[in-house]
Amino acid sequence: MRLFSKIVVATLLSTGFVGQTMAAECIAPANPGGGWDFTCRSITKIMSDIDAYDGSIQVTNMAGGGGGLAFTHVVNERNTDDDLIVAASTATATRLAQNAYSGMTADQVRFLGAIGADPGVIVVAKDSPYQNLNELLDAVIADPSKHAFAGGSAAGGYDHLKVLMALKRKGFTDIKKVKYIGVDGDADAITQTIGGFTAAMTGDISGVIGFIKSGDVRVLASFTDERIPGFESIPTAKEQGIDVVAVNWRGLYTPKGASDASYKKWTEALRQVGSSAEWKQAMMANGLAPFNKVGPDFQNYVDGVIAEVREMSLELGVMK
Amino acid sequence: MSDRIVGLLTLVVALAFFASATQLEMPFFSDPLGPKLFPMLVSGVAMIAGTMMLLNPDAEPEWPVFSTFIKLFITSIILIIYAYTLKPFGFIFPTAVASAAISFQIKPNLTKSIIIGTCLSVILFLIFKFALGLGLFAFPKALIG
Amino acid sequence: MELFANLALGFSVALSPNTLMLAVVGCILGTIIGALPGLGPSNGVAILIPLSFSLGLDATAALVLMTSVYYGAMYGGRISSILLNIPGDEPAMMTTLDGYPMAKKGQAGNALVLSGVASFVGAFLATIGLMLLAPILARVAFLFGPAEYFALYLLAFCTLGGLGSKNQAKAALSVCLGLGISMIGVDKSTGLTRFTGDNLHLYDGIDFLVAIVGLFAVSEVFIFIESHGKNSSIGVKLEKVTIPFKMIYQTKWTMLRSSIIGFIAGVLPGAGASLGSFLAYMSEKSLAKDKEKFGTGDPRGIAAPEAGNNSAAGGALVPMLTLGVPGSGTTAVLLALLMTLNITPGPLLFTERPEVVWGLIASLLIANIVLLILNVPLVKVFSRVLQVPAAILLPGVTMISFVGIYSLSGSYFDLLLMILFGIVGFFLRKMDIPTVPVILGILLGSHMEVSLRRAMVLSDGDFTYLFSSPISIGLWVAAIIGFIVPIFLRRLLTISK
Repeated sequence: MRLFSKIVVATLLSTGFVGQTMAAECIAPANPGGGWDFTCRSITKIMSDIDAYDGSIQVTNMAGGGGGLAFTHVVNERNTDDDLIVAASTATATRLAQNAYSGMTADQVRFLGAIGADPGVIVVAKDSPYQNLNELLDAVIADPSKHAFAGGSAAGGYDHLKVLMALKRKGFTDIKKVKYIGVDGDADAITQTIGGFTAAMTGDISGVIGFIKSGDVRVLASFTDERIPGFESIPTAKEQGIDVVAVNWRGLYTPKGASDASYKKWTEALRQVGSSAEWKQAMMANGLAPFNKVGPDFQNYVDGVIAEVREMSLELGVMK
Repeated sequence: MSDRIVGLLTLVVALAFFASATQLEMPFFSDPLGPKLFPMLVSGVAMIAGTMMLLNPDAEPEWPVFSTFIKLFITSIILIIYAYTLKPFGFIFPTAVASAAISFQIKPNLTKSIIIGTCLSVILFLIFKFALGLGLFAFPKALIG
Repeated sequence: MELFANLALGFSVALSPNTLMLAVVGCILGTIIGALPGLGPSNGVAILIPLSFSLGLDATAALVLMTSVYYGAMYGGRISSILLNIPGDEPAMMTTLDGYPMAKKGQAGNALVLSGVASFVGAFLATIGLMLLAPILARVAFLFGPAEYFALYLLAFCTLGGLGSKNQAKAALSVCLGLGISMIGVDKSTGLTRFTGDNLHLYDGIDFLVAIVGLFAVSEVFIFIESHGKNSSIGVKLEKVTIPFKMIYQTKWTMLRSSIIGFIAGVLPGAGASLGSFLAYMSEKSLAKDKEKFGTGDPRGIAAPEAGNNSAAGGALVPMLTLGVPGSGTTAVLLALLMTLNITPGPLLFTERPEVVWGLIASLLIANIVLLILNVPLVKVFSRVLQVPAAILLPGVTMISFVGIYSLSGSYFDLLLMILFGIVGFFLRKMDIPTVPVILGILLGSHMEVSLRRAMVLSDGDFTYLFSSPISIGLWVAAIIGFIVPIFLRRLLTISK
């Protein structure tokens, strides 16, 4: 074993894989493989590829509490750390709004920005009888027990809320009757829908791109203001008279007590990534739509989202 | 006897688990089983298993003598202290002390244990930090800025 | 013929001096990571992703490196299972049951060679399966809804009746402990927390790695101190290492059957490799005429789980590549890597990016052969671990476990839990209560509950929905005839005697 480690250490030393002792850090508040992990890994990779940030950035996974553990860690232990960014998304805002981080609030950190968003969609299998969003929603309203939705987030999460919001716009408020099963991610939800176990899938477009291209599914609506670039044939919910906009932005926050200079440095780096060709390519490949809010703008936007989700959750009875 | 004690303990814990499951809130939307049923089923099976152990105990296992129990207790305490100190005191120092202490439990030779502890902690640190790239700190953060 | 053209394309992508070197480095790193308790294939691959970035590798080279690490870790997990009774990662858990007794007899060399060959057979057959059947098998996932998954997990738990312990009540107790633990945390179906006592650390539940390292590694240290090393393989005089051709030949059908079972378990998204090795072991045991030999160092008890888990690791790539559904923690990480490289898995990946898919398949084949070549001669080096004095080896194992678990979330809480599992594990083992079912309960418990509840949501609480498809009926029948009836038959036989 000892001999082995020597070989390994030697190989790695020779390939230059010895990070700087005090590298900056990007915390992905989940296990490797999810959206937050992707945010940290691609953004930091591009930051160093295009030299937007001097020095190396290490990605750390800190799973727990649906992001709550990392949030608490940042607030309590790293509040003045200038070299720290943390991945966030709509799920972060949703959980903050629903008080799911055991009393922690959004104003305990500083939101840095988001440079891409995953548009929300409603998808059915190709052999489904429903051709547009209204047909599906009408059918659900007529007989909720026959139509289940599958989504990648837990009940009460953003994927579930999207459906409830759409139904509410149609005047249906008996949401206890709406069937929703929360599975492990969008891909799992779409598999259940293609398999015919659920009537429709609610999630983000990135998880279903492969299936759209292969013709296994039909996207009934996207929850965006305008049609998604690259997927112009998908009508928005708005066009169909259902005014719901729901995107899953991919962004970052920093500790509240970090210096203004570092906040500026990070926003600058993030802006550069946002306008780089590499990021555009990554967005294309992963089905992200343009969404560029960096700096104070973004902070206002997040505050707005949190207020909206809180109001909605109270109204729908998701939280008390 | 040990089996009976564990059987009884199982019954008590399973009952507590069952009681705590009944307190769970029902969800706000359609879910016929809810979050209660499964935990209740599990505690039910556990109660049956506990009762069987209570009534049909196996032969008594060979428990260690009292002095060995003390030794095990000390080992657990060392590990717990180690868990708490790993972060604030950095990797090297707590690891050296903890591995020396465990080594001493296995072979009571003070000098050797200290050497083993120190070497292990430095070698492991080098492997984890530089070969595998884990985010460990060698010394307390306050010391290295 | 198209197959050969594709394969040739794959090898033309993957077979260059550079990538070959990467494969060797990846295999060595993976083997070490797999052997270290707490560091398994999934965090191993995650830890090494930055390496592929900092080396500036292109997509194919990065894939070659990561798949070699993945397979290397799957091979490596068995080493510490066999030598120290400590599974390096969760799929290697079943290998402790027969591998460790064999090491205690001084046959660590044989056990390591046999398990290495079995790993190769499993992984190799799975790669062939991936090559020939992936697009067809992808459709299998569409046939599995909540009811079918529930029946599958039920089958897994029913097989536990045949596991080791003579006392069924103790096995049942052990499963319940695992199931109870799996219920801690956010209930995925409702978003409400259960049994967390409002502790944020418990919100996502207890990671099975914490449990497995505590129950196996930490408790091993306690047991060693308690027994003064009497019952340990450390310091056992080793027999000369030779290749046990006879053993390998005798277990050929075991390897083949286990590879098939493992592959199927891997293709179904769910518990992946662990379920594969578990089902492979249990079905070999139930097929055997001399069941009592299992658990005492039977070669079949080593060949089955190793062929099963490596084959499942290959099988898990099927849903990942064709559906983007990660069947296990490791494939989730590989999926993330693919996405960072701007490759989107899905039904069209095989036709749109053949160079990626076939490059991957070629690199799997390469990694496998490299691993077989590396592993057999290295058996001597590995088994030398047992000659390291216990006063060095055991503190080392403990510290490695701590760092492995600490790297999961960087919190002392997981470490405390691990110590608690160590103490519980000590008492369980002293009382002859099997620890494997605890892990299985934690791994599969929440999946099983969630499938049942989803089925009930879909059917409005109608239980007949659970038996409404041919697949679920088949699984129920297999569970009852294969594993429940024999228990009662045995009871009847012993009573009538």
